[in-house]
Amino acid sequence: MINLLLRKCLQGLMMVLIVSAVTFALLSFAGGDALTELRDNPQISKVAIERLRGVYGLDQPLPVRYFRWLSGAVTGDLGESTYFRVPVSGLVWARSLSTFLLGTAAFAIALTFAVPLSLVGVRYKSTTIAAFIDLLILLTASTPRIVLALVALAISVQLTASATDMSSAVLFWLAALALSAPLISAFLAQFYGELQRTMREDFIKLARAKGLSESAVILRHAVRPALNPVLTIAGLSFGGVLGGSVIVESVLGRQGLGTLMVSAVRARDLPLVMGIVLFTSTAVWLGNAIGELLQAVNDKRIRDLGL
Amino acid sequence: MNEQLSKDGFTKRRTDRVAVFGWLVIGLFALFAVFAGFLAPYDHSAQSRFEPSAPATTIHFSGLTPIIYLRRVEDPLRRTYTEDTSVAFPVGLFVRGYSYKLLGIAETDVHLFGVKSTSGIAPRINLLGTDQLGRDRFSRLLYAVRFSLIVALLGVLVACVVGISIGGVSGYAGRLVDTFLMGVTDAMLALPTLILILGVRAAFPLELPMTRAAVLLLLIFALTGWAEMARLTRGLVLSLRRREFVVAAVALGVSQTRVLFRHILPNILPSLRTRALLLLPTFLLAEVALSYLGVGLQEPEPSLGNMLTAASDLDQLRMQPFSILSPALAVFLFTLGVRLIDRSERA
Repeated sequence: MINLLLRKCLQGLMMVLIVSAVTFALLSFAGGDALTELRDNPQISKVAIERLRGVYGLDQPLPVRYFRWLSGAVTGDLGESTYFRVPVSGLVWARSLSTFLLGTAAFAIALTFAVPLSLVGVRYKSTTIAAFIDLLILLTASTPRIVLALVALAISVQLTASATDMSSAVLFWLAALALSAPLISAFLAQFYGELQRTMREDFIKLARAKGLSESAVILRHAVRPALNPVLTIAGLSFGGVLGGSVIVESVLGRQGLGTLMVSAVRARDLPLVMGIVLFTSTAVWLGNAIGELLQAVNDKRIRDLGL
Repeated sequence: MNEQLSKDGFTKRRTDRVAVFGWLVIGLFALFAVFAGFLAPYDHSAQSRFEPSAPATTIHFSGLTPIIYLRRVEDPLRRTYTEDTSVAFPVGLFVRGYSYKLLGIAETDVHLFGVKSTSGIAPRINLLGTDQLGRDRFSRLLYAVRFSLIVALLGVLVACVVGISIGGVSGYAGRLVDTFLMGVTDAMLALPTLILILGVRAAFPLELPMTRAAVLLLLIFALTGWAEMARLTRGLVLSLRRREFVVAAVALGVSQTRVLFRHILPNILPSLRTRALLLLPTFLLAEVALSYLGVGLQEPEPSLGNMLTAASDLDQLRMQPFSILSPALAVFLFTLGVRLIDRSERA
């Protein structure tokens, strides 16, 4: 268990380091920074721009700048946003709360679809339910989040006189629903498939032979082993949800991490872009690690292997 | 596909019908992309000042000939139109219009359909209405499919070349190289792709000319999309390199690169092809997302993403939801088509 924790931490650290270094290098090499537009302004002298570059530390060589940024980041100081003129860390924290709520709601929606449907499908083995699950998987997998978000927007403007009339709770759940579509397909496909495989195992036959009712067999013996791949997928889908939130938030006009990223990119606010990339890659690693830890908690076999 | 049919035609019949439908959809999209100039009645950036944000043209019938009427603005603020039914303009097939290059070579001005009239005041037929600048949305949609598909397709090609090379080397070279390359690949796979794409995009100027924007998108797609391909290739190469025919080739003294490219690669290509097909909608969506956010392909050239920005005009969205969301429908159909093919290939 400790072994697993240590390994995940090391992996995460490596990933965050690599990603931040690559992004930092790319952003610097491409040239152009928040001062690019000032350069086109004839009223600002070259000297003033050089002085500003000194103030922001842009005249230092790349590795120096990266390590300066990194040592700040370790202590929680991500620098100041060149566009919003406030510390990056505060801005990212404030916005991430709204995205976190949206993402949690999306996960909850996906689970409320996937778990009961799979259980019913395995319990009653009816071809109609199986066909319905199949169709739902196909449809949710092939409806992109941007399409769903736009349809949600169209529905909301049809229902109300103006979009601002829409109660924010309804809009929130519409956004969460749009965000959850690919999750529904992933969770449903994994859980239903794995449940079906588990039901053919010998220990299920044993449980049936003991005279347990079919529902008890499923709920007490089949669910736990079938949960493992769902936990993996859930951990892995953090990245997708964060990426999807960019689209859903922009379409439905919510202020979150996604819209913050879009404004950062448009303003070429490099400290803010770096801050968000750092924050999201850490969040993704965290989700990944939590997924694997939950698996170890759920399944003694994995714990003992020390994976 | 034909092989599959003959192998066990009975059990696979249903899934195959589904796959045929998928191929049909993809084929239709390919046709739209190739013959956009012929199918589109108007040039994608030709503006009609008198008809901004017009709803779809109503097609009437006089006998069997479809006709349309001239439209006049009734209320310029609410953008409503009235029809002037005094003169009828017949709609016909193979009408002459603006000139374009068929298949990129033959210059012609024949279009599949259009208004048959030589007079200067003839109305334009707008199957999906017009946008704020009075451009024909149907023509723009066809060209948007072309631009977006080209970018996505080239992106898949570049990502495949990079991914297959890295995966092949990783699976074939020693343990040290493998551990390093797969570590990088796993890190790439776990990242929030769209945020990474946006991050890379931030490094370049916001406004870019069409071709440069397209090339930039291609590179970004390749940079962020190769990992999946690499992971798959590496697994397949690993499973093949201990097989007898590979061992035999090595024993015969065939060089390593030749073993990789002549003996291993042809055997894993079918599996790679399926995955590459799945990358296509992923990249199409990435283009849609970037262009929607205003950092991808930009006006005046249409793309599925930048056409969707019209949805931010909520009044228009309320009045003509179908026309405005038609690019979204196209994206949905394309994704569905690819998923159907993929599903029956896996079954």
